[in-house]
Amino acid sequence: MLPSGLPEVVADDEPLARFLMSSSQFNALMVKPAAYMPSAKDGNTSVFRHGAEPRESLLEIAGTHVVGERTLHGVAICTAQQVRASELNVVAQEPPPRHANITGWPVVANDPEQTKAQQKERALLIAQHAVLVRVPR
Amino acid sequence: MLEPVSAVTIQLGLAALYSLARPGSAVSREAQVVQQVANDAVNSVERSWALFGRKASAISELSALANECAHEGWDGGDARPIDPQAVSKAIAFMRALPDSLPLPEMTAEPDGAVSLDWIRSRNRLLSVSIGAGDRLVFAWLDGSDRGHGVARFVEGVVPARIVDGIAAIMDVRDAAVRAA
Repeated sequence: MLPSGLPEVVADDEPLARFLMSSSQFNALMVKPAAYMPSAKDGNTSVFRHGAEPRESLLEIAGTHVVGERTLHGVAICTAQQVRASELNVVAQEPPPRHANITGWPVVANDPEQTKAQQKERALLIAQHAVLVRVPR
Repeated sequence: MLEPVSAVTIQLGLAALYSLARPGSAVSREAQVVQQVANDAVNSVERSWALFGRKASAISELSALANECAHEGWDGGDARPIDPQAVSKAIAFMRALPDSLPLPEMTAEPDGAVSLDWIRSRNRLLSVSIGAGDRLVFAWLDGSDRGHGVARFVEGVVPARIVDGIAAIMDVRDAAVRAA
């Protein structure tokens, strides 16, 4: 058991929240794939193990660990199963509490563009399933 | 030396063109030719304005995005600031897009690249990443079909694979489109 009280293994049916800090990361139809692209620094995509509800606790996580002085525009919610169906994985990574990483992004040796092209395709696969929670301003 | 042309001068010139292009005012063969030429000129000016306005608006949107994502960690994590060279290349890409294609939506990526997206539906979309280099990264989803690729963007010509991909995703016919 992790300090947050969650199990170490992220179950397939667990919802994962990705906080969106730019309104350009989504449109009326969907969350855009770029929102799921991995960090250039650690090669992972940071998510929190939380669904759309309860909304108060979702926004509290964002406020405490992510937003800072920026503005939260929305939250993308998908399930761990949808990530794994995209040939990626989800691994718990605390602290902070409830934090996890989407890992296993493909890497093509000595070819950053091919690497990114493959990663982009996986991001499209996740984004097509993601549910957008808009944050009223 | 070239001198700036005022908006009033342009409007006066256009007013004259509209007057010449007005139907029913030409009688002689020469007048009909003049009317046809004026008509073509008016159509060309109007088309240029419509296209320029559309692309100018997209470029202005991109500039706003560049400002919004100009600092480290703009995504609440460790995203790199949007790369000014990527922005310049994205502008060149949009200018070079064939006129018959719709313009993309845009967002920033964590590595500082610009993502241009053509979204028809959740499972029908094409996304192009433009970084500081000449190689464009793209991926698409078209129902159960999907894929990715890398293509070179040189001399202001959008790679045919990307043009065809956008046309297919967005259902644009007559996509044997000329480069703008």
